[in-house]
Amino acid sequence: MTLTPHLASDSAACCWIPLFALRSELARRPELVSLPVALLAPDTARTPRVWQVAPLARRAGVKPGMTVSQAIGLCPGLKLCEPDPVHYDEQFARLVAALVTVSPVVEPAEVGRVFVGTDGLEGLYGAPENIVEAIQMRSAECGMRNVLNAECGMRNAECKGKRREANDPSLKFRTPHSEFRIGWGRGKFVAWVAATRAKPGEAVIVPVGGEAKFLASQPLAVLPLDPDTHRRLLQLGVKTLGALVALPEEAVVSQYGHAGRRLWRLAAGLVSEPVVGRVVPEPIVAALTFFSSVGERDLLAHALDKLVDRALGDPRRSGWRVQVVRVHAELEHGASWLVEATLKDPSATRERIAAPLKTQLERSPPAGAVERLVVEFTAFVPGTADLQLFARDAGAAARAGRRRALQSAAREIALRIRRPMLYHIIEVQPWSRLPERRYALIDFEP
Amino acid sequence: MRNGTDRLRAVNVPQPAVVELDAGGSPAKIEMNSDVREPVTIEAVREIWRIDDEWWREPITRTYYEVLLHGGARLVLFRDLGAQEWFVQKP
Repeated sequence: MTLTPHLASDSAACCWIPLFALRSELARRPELVSLPVALLAPDTARTPRVWQVAPLARRAGVKPGMTVSQAIGLCPGLKLCEPDPVHYDEQFARLVAALVTVSPVVEPAEVGRVFVGTDGLEGLYGAPENIVEAIQMRSAECGMRNVLNAECGMRNAECKGKRREANDPSLKFRTPHSEFRIGWGRGKFVAWVAATRAKPGEAVIVPVGGEAKFLASQPLAVLPLDPDTHRRLLQLGVKTLGALVALPEEAVVSQYGHAGRRLWRLAAGLVSEPVVGRVVPEPIVAALTFFSSVGERDLLAHALDKLVDRALGDPRRSGWRVQVVRVHAELEHGASWLVEATLKDPSATRERIAAPLKTQLERSPPAGAVERLVVEFTAFVPGTADLQLFARDAGAAARAGRRRALQSAAREIALRIRRPMLYHIIEVQPWSRLPERRYALIDFEP
Repeated sequence: MRNGTDRLRAVNVPQPAVVELDAGGSPAKIEMNSDVREPVTIEAVREIWRIDDEWWREPITRTYYEVLLHGGARLVLFRDLGAQEWFVQKP
């Protein structure tokens, strides 16, 4: 495998879609868009809590972290949705894959937030505004439309005329209907803060050298502070990064130690953390030469399984899901056979990767006996197994696998019975002395 | 109990029952509104407790009985002291 020596970039674009999971859910179920909707938090089966809240529900007082009974009490019409982390992760993987076409340096931070390194892209796209526009165009291809806030802003041309404001060093422009907020600047922190200042579909660009001026007016909350430090600084009257930087650096260090120095330097725009991308592996090949030519399809299917297994076990595949797989066979008398499959849902499991190949094997088998069979993974998307960001450990991956199996079974039951028959038991008022108030059933919708 | 969106359904809703009392006012026979309509004799009352709740809106007052049925089955029933009706419910 050839390693690209430096997949890092000082200049960064932060692409941020707040409430990514909720937006993914609404994009899948548009009938919910006009309703007060909230997603339940994943992995809190004992006492379900609200995780992400749509604006209509938020206006009724529903907040993340509330119990279901609190939320329903505030908003009786609340639509609660079971979370589907696998789906959200797949959507995010699509987004990341689209951004890789703009820049090879892409660093996912969390679901809905990803950094794109933009060093060296000037030659391709020109100024940062053009780079950001290229990112917006690619992200728009992923279908992440602004379903929560459909208001359409100014068109780019109108906005570009208003870019430069007297006291704001950042440039702003917007793409209508987009949920993307993009911040561009030197280092990840500046890019992230710029993204938090952008409105939906808008980009905020912090010119090189303008970091300190841009950061000075930002609220303290943009710093990675623990609640206690935040409170203490507010009590000292420090409300903006500019006010923090106005304090002597050594005074902040004496109060808050090493963390204080980092905070002060972040606030001053002196820290520039680069975006670090991952190296995309080159094609992984596994081959098998038969002792004698093989014509039986069962044997070939078995050999396919073994080869896919072997290719999956290649250490270079670790951390990547397979998107495109190709099989070619050398046949007797010098002929050959080739099939290629692009997986709609990139995977790292043998069954899913081998399934389309076996279908092809049945439909259009080789024209002769096979002497040598080769399996090749030619394209990848980031991810460990089926889950990229929600499943950082084997336990979480197993839970996700069970959830997916359950969802598949639920879909089958719903198809057969044609009415909802599966429910999820949730605690409503577990402390109640009235037994019927303690628990409730919520539709289990895969 | 279902909310306005038909998303939440109550669990363990009390089921109406017809109860005959003995001379002392304790439940003696029970007829549940299920497929089996035969009244079942209550062999013994094992425990009695009372619940007063929601006095701040529509008061709920119930006397619960844990009983042993003829045949050995255990059951929990309560009398709604407001409506003077009997129900069966899992505790």
